[in-house]
Amino acid sequence: MKLLTHNLLSSHVRGVGPRGFPLRLEATEVRINPVEFNPQFVARMIPKVEWAALLEAADTLHLIEVPKEPIQGYEHDEDFLRKMHHILLEVDVLEGTLQCPESGRLFPISRGIPNMLLSDEETES
Amino acid sequence: MSDIQEATNQLLDVNLHENQRSVQVTESDLRSESELLVTIGATVPTGFEQTAADEVREKLGSSCKISRDRGKIYFVISVESLAQVHCLRSVDNLFVVVQEFQDYQFKKTKEEVLKDFEDLAGKLPWSDPLKVWKINTSFKKKKIKRKKINQNSSKEKIDNGKDNKIDETGIKKEFPDNALDSHILDYYENPAIKEEISTLVGDDLASCKDETDESTKQETEPQVLKFRVTCNRAGEKHCFTSNEAARDFGGAVQDYFKWKADMTNFDVELLVESLHLGSSLSSRLCDPLPYDIIVDPMCGTGAIPIEGATEWSDCYHIAGDNNPLAVNRAANNISSLLTKSQIKEGKPSWGLPIDAVQWDICNLPLRTGSVDIIVTDLPFGKRMGSKKRNWNLYPACLREMGRVCTPATGRAVLLTQDTKCFTKALSGMRHVWRKVDTVWVNIGGLRAAVYVLGRTPQTFVHPSEQDGERGTPW
Repeated sequence: MKLLTHNLLSSHVRGVGPRGFPLRLEATEVRINPVEFNPQFVARMIPKVEWAALLEAADTLHLIEVPKEPIQGYEHDEDFLRKMHHILLEVDVLEGTLQCPESGRLFPISRGIPNMLLSDEETES
Repeated sequence: MSDIQEATNQLLDVNLHENQRSVQVTESDLRSESELLVTIGATVPTGFEQTAADEVREKLGSSCKISRDRGKIYFVISVESLAQVHCLRSVDNLFVVVQEFQDYQFKKTKEEVLKDFEDLAGKLPWSDPLKVWKINTSFKKKKIKRKKINQNSSKEKIDNGKDNKIDETGIKKEFPDNALDSHILDYYENPAIKEEISTLVGDDLASCKDETDESTKQETEPQVLKFRVTCNRAGEKHCFTSNEAARDFGGAVQDYFKWKADMTNFDVELLVESLHLGSSLSSRLCDPLPYDIIVDPMCGTGAIPIEGATEWSDCYHIAGDNNPLAVNRAANNISSLLTKSQIKEGKPSWGLPIDAVQWDICNLPLRTGSVDIIVTDLPFGKRMGSKKRNWNLYPACLREMGRVCTPATGRAVLLTQDTKCFTKALSGMRHVWRKVDTVWVNIGGLRAAVYVLGRTPQTFVHPSEQDGERGTPW
């Protein structure tokens, strides 16, 4: 699971709604995969990213320091873009858990795949 | 048939097209050989179909039909133009189309389908394509001679399916003086769309023999051809396996022609193809912009997102399914895709912008409004789910997909066979989805439709964020 995916994932336990984001990440196994750097891709993903969630996740994984917010003129700052590229796309969480911040429910990550299935009682419907 | 001489490999191709949008049927019914028309198929690198079509128009004066699946083009030429076909630079492999079936209806049971394949062998219009093949081999013989002189020249990127085969690793194989290089005939690249039944490296000793034995060969002596059958059975929704189809079809061909089956040292390869255009068509219809986030919430083994990650590698793809087996297989397919691309392009990078998640389509664990495009094959009533289940499933899917999709700019491309149920479900969601296009297709003998939907500007508000009374989320 890449951190860009983590940034899109949210808990759907009944009743939590938007408070199910962000999922608290814990990783026991992480792999770094080199990915081809595409600066425009990174620049265009940044506005879609929930920054605080990304900061928290990067921090948990002890990654290189992420700025508190996107710096001015980030679109042309290659250094910044490369850092973000690495964090968003090259860090793969293979084993770990995601925790719903509201309900505490744990979702396992195994072989890089988060299992977000809930039992019928837990779901919204 | 009696005069056919051994030569290097060429493919005779039987296409079973399952989609109405696919190319024209062709059969030669002209007697005289000089007026003989033939349909040639050519594989081209994905994305270069139009370029190749332009070249064909320019050099051969023929217009092309471009197959929407897997980089192939088809064109009709007279046999006289066969030599020029070998001058095309933008194509890889050439083959002669024996017959193409549009809207081929697969029977329901495996036994019936395989029996059909057996009967097919005897019924196909072989004589003209084989004539063309024979003529073509005489070109190849000249080519072989020329090629030996040019052995040490620089790497030739294009090969016409016979001589300078460049294998998947992109490395040209070295060969000793009197042998031709290895022929790698596995040129399908997407592991999720098709089932590979045979990959091979076969030294083509047949052509070698041609060179040395030519003077002593008795030309009138009938040669028994060696052949093998490859079956490409695209898509997972079939009741038979590629192995079974190849075996039964091959058995019938063997009886009919008295050719010998040989997996590694063959003269002719017969290709039985079933083109499942579901994933390819859906992917193309969604027309993603760069940097879109594309999700397949019922990905199965991941065909759509995997194709997406290859075609549109400047988008981000997420494949999700509730079935753990499906998701694991999708993840494996992704890994094998990464490995192949790494080897093929010699790039150090081996990550692609794609991830897999296990989830429930009715409760997607995704942020509201975070997804640009949703592309998926909805469960078919008759094959996968049940019709009754779809009545509940489809509205729930549309609701949840509507929630996660970006208002105003988001879109969805949904393939389904249960069009009645889908239309009804959609009619209740007009405030969320508007219909942009409907494309009718034929998948595995069943009529289906691809719906292209646009997300309305209406935003989704979670009940917990609404003031006061319990309103609806929209």
